[in-house]
Amino acid sequence: MSRSPIPAYLSLCQLPSGGVGRVCKLEGDMEFCQRVREMGIGESTFVTKVSGTGTILCQVNGTRIALSHGAAKNILVEQLAGR
Amino acid sequence: MALPPHISAGPAGGSSRTPVYALVGNPNCGKSTLFNALTGLKQKVGNYPGVTVEKKVGTAYSQHGQPMTVIDLPGAYSLAARSPDEAVTRDVLLGRRSDTAQPDRILCIVDATNLERNLYLVHQILDLGRPVILVVNMMDLAAQAGLSLRLSQLENQLGIPVIPCEAANGRGIIELRLAMSRPDLPLSRHAWAVPAPIAPAIAEIQASLISHDHKGPLIARAEALLLLTDQDSVRVAGSTPLHPRTAEILRTWEKRWNDEGTDWAGSLVNSRYDAIGRLAAEVVLQSGTSGPTTSDKIDAVATHPLWGWLVLGAVMLLLFLSIFTLAEYPMNWIDAHVAALANAVKGAMAPGDLRDLITDGAIAGVGGVIIFLPQILILFFFIGLLESTGYMARAAFIMDRLMSRVGLNGKSFIPLLSSYACAIPGIMATRTIEDSKDRLVTILVAPLMSCSARLPVYLLMIAALVPGDRVPLLTKVGIMLLMYALGTVGAFGFAWLFKRTLLKGAPPLMIMELPPYRLPRLRDVALHMIERAWIFLRRAGTVILGISIVLWFLTAYPKAPADATPAQQLAQSFAGRAGHLLEPAIKPLGFDWQIGIGLITSFAAREVFVSTMGVVFNTESSDKDTTPLRKAMLAARWPDGRMLFTPLTCITLMIFYVFAMQCMSTIAVVKRETNGWKWPIFQTAYMTGTAWILSLVVYQAGRGLGF
Repeated sequence: MSRSPIPAYLSLCQLPSGGVGRVCKLEGDMEFCQRVREMGIGESTFVTKVSGTGTILCQVNGTRIALSHGAAKNILVEQLAGR
Repeated sequence: MALPPHISAGPAGGSSRTPVYALVGNPNCGKSTLFNALTGLKQKVGNYPGVTVEKKVGTAYSQHGQPMTVIDLPGAYSLAARSPDEAVTRDVLLGRRSDTAQPDRILCIVDATNLERNLYLVHQILDLGRPVILVVNMMDLAAQAGLSLRLSQLENQLGIPVIPCEAANGRGIIELRLAMSRPDLPLSRHAWAVPAPIAPAIAEIQASLISHDHKGPLIARAEALLLLTDQDSVRVAGSTPLHPRTAEILRTWEKRWNDEGTDWAGSLVNSRYDAIGRLAAEVVLQSGTSGPTTSDKIDAVATHPLWGWLVLGAVMLLLFLSIFTLAEYPMNWIDAHVAALANAVKGAMAPGDLRDLITDGAIAGVGGVIIFLPQILILFFFIGLLESTGYMARAAFIMDRLMSRVGLNGKSFIPLLSSYACAIPGIMATRTIEDSKDRLVTILVAPLMSCSARLPVYLLMIAALVPGDRVPLLTKVGIMLLMYALGTVGAFGFAWLFKRTLLKGAPPLMIMELPPYRLPRLRDVALHMIERAWIFLRRAGTVILGISIVLWFLTAYPKAPADATPAQQLAQSFAGRAGHLLEPAIKPLGFDWQIGIGLITSFAAREVFVSTMGVVFNTESSDKDTTPLRKAMLAARWPDGRMLFTPLTCITLMIFYVFAMQCMSTIAVVKRETNGWKWPIFQTAYMTGTAWILSLVVYQAGRGLGF
């Protein structure tokens, strides 16, 4: 597979497993955004995606968080490193 | 850590009343462990009226032996509540619940490994203007993760006692007890800048809350802040509503900001996060990174797309094997003792109605239910074990994809799993599901999972179906598993249907923390198990005792002539007449009036069917040994001489029991849970309706095929 240039924003679903991203934007209604922030995924936090295509498993500040696909889609990150 | 500045005075301002502490914290930060460490066995578990959220209250003792009440509030990430249990936490802290006194002091527990996130709730709690003690738990895990926390800095900044703690090892409990024993606790100095455009609104709402809702000044300010950020969507029964004047002020401001385009909630939340971010930067020092933890390594297998399923399958298999094999010994023991008790009473009392009421009504009825206690204990032991090790969240994660196919999220898995033992704890476990529609769908389908009360019915029918001991055990187990599968498929099918029709909702969103794996704390698991057992026994002692007595009356009256056999007595009793009345409705399913009596009596609880059949066919058999009853049932005939319990009838009857809502306790819990009769009535109708239609189809098709 050829390396395509990394787009500015990826959703957490698109981030490859093992990749690290910095949260840039939370989409969705206010309640959703607030809930995600309360779980520790606020703007500019670093998120490591552990695994998952359907339900996503990620790691934030040492805490593992499972997100269903619909929720992860609304979390936009900037990819920093990863395999 | 500073020792308390006094020795002599009693706790909490020297008042003679027992001080009330509320224990709050994020989920998975060790709150229950701390609660158990503080209160030991001195706990009372009840319910907040109107909601099935558990109210746990315990007594701790100060250094000087004075009692202190501790209320363990449900875990929450913030005071902006999204599920009924979070709403209870919010309402107790704000003094909105008339059933629970507002706590005098607050114990706030945070997870040291994730301080910044936990501080959000702390920040909101400090706004309440109550004395707060901050317990920083899991200090050992934070050190392992390469974090060093400057707690003295935190103490300085917040102005409240900060106690480092490892609740799981009991470290820090003494220091905490000392802090709790202090008669004076400082109020927090914390302050954060509320955005200027919003400040006047807060002042006005605060003033209205003080004058109209009779709140204290500080708590009124905290509530004003919360009203502006929280859409206040979750209101639970038992909390006092806002005064109309306050609600009107709130609406006026929101309208004004909407017109101006001010994002009031966003700017309030952001200014809070700014304050927390600054605080966390001063307190938390990352002094090195660590490689993958043991937890991460276990997760590599347990959450793996393939191995994860295998692990989950193995765990479930072990669970079911234990429920159905290990439980047998204590169940036999209980059975024997209940029978011995009934015999002892029979021997000690003169024959008569009172004796029959006690032995055939009360003892037999309650005994028939208590026999399930071992299975329920084993189930809760496993569920407690899975929860305290942290595996339960992984199971929900693995199941999420499957559950999302039918429109539910992974969190619905835990209630459905519990329902295999009993739908009541299953329905109670739905309270962590945030979305109210998802929650309702889960409640509606949970009783379709074959609970342990169906087991005796299945066992009896299988015994009648495959007579003799020549049939291999595997066939019997196979039929049994088929019934379990049928119920499970039914539950998923109806969930799918309800999410597309009655309770249409957005696709389910799950955001769930997976706590690190821990060695199970057997003490906590045991406490949890004892709590459940007690709730179950209390129910057996009240509701089921009452129903048993009523049922006994219906089968014992009106009296037949003195020389009548028990079967004749039953035939002309109220229950027997009801069976005859029911016969036209159930004859197409292959059931006669005698089975009808069983259907009626087992509406109280499914297992009553077996004991009713024992009375109907006049055998002296116990629940366990179904051989004589089986013989009597196989001898039963329709008036035209056809056999009553043909294999087809047995299968049909089992299918009926898979789907029919034959459980008054479940109906009562659903009524309480959904605050009304609408949903329990709907649930009973759809379940029993499905049972009738499916039984009809199976029986008539079977007849057509010549069975």
